[in-house]
Amino acid sequence: MAKQTTDTVSATKIGETPKQVVHPEPQYRWMNQSREWGTRVLPGEKGLTLDSLNVGIYGEIPQRWDDQGRNPRGAIPVKGALPIGYSVTSKTELWAPSAAQLYEEAIQRRWAPATDVPWSTVQPLPDDVETAICQVCTEISQYANTDIEVITSWQHRMSYGYHEVKQFLATASLDAARRYEALRKRALINGGGLGLEPMGQVNRVLLESRGGWTETVSALALIRGLFLVTMCEYLLRHAYNEAERVIYSYVIQDVSRLVNYGLDHLQYSIAHDDERLNAITTMVAIGVAMHNRDLRDPVLREALAIVFGGGVAGARKEGMSIFFDFMDDFRKRHLELRRWLKLPADPASLPLGYRPRDAK
Amino acid sequence: MASTSLLFPSVEWLQAVREVFNTSEQYRGTGSGRCDCLVGLKVDNELFRVDFEGFGCESVKEASQADLDEADFYIEMPSDEWKAMLDNIRTNGHAVGEYTINTLDLGREEGIAHSTHGDQYRQDLFVRYNQTMQFFFDASSRVATTYERA
Repeated sequence: MAKQTTDTVSATKIGETPKQVVHPEPQYRWMNQSREWGTRVLPGEKGLTLDSLNVGIYGEIPQRWDDQGRNPRGAIPVKGALPIGYSVTSKTELWAPSAAQLYEEAIQRRWAPATDVPWSTVQPLPDDVETAICQVCTEISQYANTDIEVITSWQHRMSYGYHEVKQFLATASLDAARRYEALRKRALINGGGLGLEPMGQVNRVLLESRGGWTETVSALALIRGLFLVTMCEYLLRHAYNEAERVIYSYVIQDVSRLVNYGLDHLQYSIAHDDERLNAITTMVAIGVAMHNRDLRDPVLREALAIVFGGGVAGARKEGMSIFFDFMDDFRKRHLELRRWLKLPADPASLPLGYRPRDAK
Repeated sequence: MASTSLLFPSVEWLQAVREVFNTSEQYRGTGSGRCDCLVGLKVDNELFRVDFEGFGCESVKEASQADLDEADFYIEMPSDEWKAMLDNIRTNGHAVGEYTINTLDLGREEGIAHSTHGDQYRQDLFVRYNQTMQFFFDASSRVATTYERA
């Protein structure tokens, strides 16, 4: 039987006799329970990074993580807890060797649109250019909304055994929120405003992909992410002020991390699961078909042509020519990534509107 | 700024840029950060390797073709285009307009960033660390540069 101690506590009312309260002597039985005591990770040249903590049992990343709780990897699990219902429990379904590094990088390369963008450099522009920029901002903001929803809708299904991935994806959804914020601010700072909501067939593919996270990632990285990075590289080249240059250059970095996670994960998954290649191939084909439909909508194409061409007058020739250069670059990169992942990459198999100009 | 002009391309010139890059607060700010990658530079037939680690540039060396094969990516331009970019940086304090590495990359059929290993993940570090690369070359604005061998 546990020892007991007696304390005298103050009366609640003036004049009452102090009450005697009995409570058990602390036993501290929870102490000295650790799966590997004595671990001591020291900061390296890059600080105390997340991946540097993967030592001993704490670095054992299992092929499956069936624990249905929120058990931090390496802790002693509670018994008899109600299962939470994680469905992404296999390493091949989400792992990317670079996830911890990407997480650290996202933290270090953070930026705040409110203060890090030189907003005062935005000066009045001709109405046609401002309208086009605002339309592009609207489209990118909607992509960002989709990214947030897609990432978070999968994140809570992922086992805690793979915390590196969950943590990186937390930064990726914050990146998307910041992207939304920055582009919305650009749309509203210069006498314009938001434009038309885009069609978003790719959004539907991403949001309604229920087959698996890997399949979702294949469209998120190879189609949406790569398209956005390439578009921002062209927008950076044709920016009208320093504020836009800062926004686009930071967005490129942010989205590149997500694309890189996607590539790393797809490569890992294909290498460790024979069934994955076919599923990814199918998902990419669906994504490409839907993206091809999105591209038939003239709104983004025309808005970009105006931005690249310096106005409606320049959009018809120079602007549209630059738009096609952008699309060619995107499609070529898309095919290069496919080849690298050993996915089918014959340009002739793509929808006509999706083929690089030199492959038509 | 160094009082004696240093020859571009050379290890000495890259060392001077590295020193400015590693010691200037302006290149440590927002949008920059940890960068771990091995970058090759190709100026006509002259090769160099620039090793980025953590928050700085760890080393610069002359390189062989084998070093270039090891690099995550290498940036290749003819010497006159390097000169045009560096002149633009020197005039403006940082790259402007057509002379940012992003725009230079877009402006060429095959881009300016390449790799021999074909690993897309590694080659994409050029995009992921684009701001850091730009900061590195922008640091050359404070290095007196000559293109003529004495």
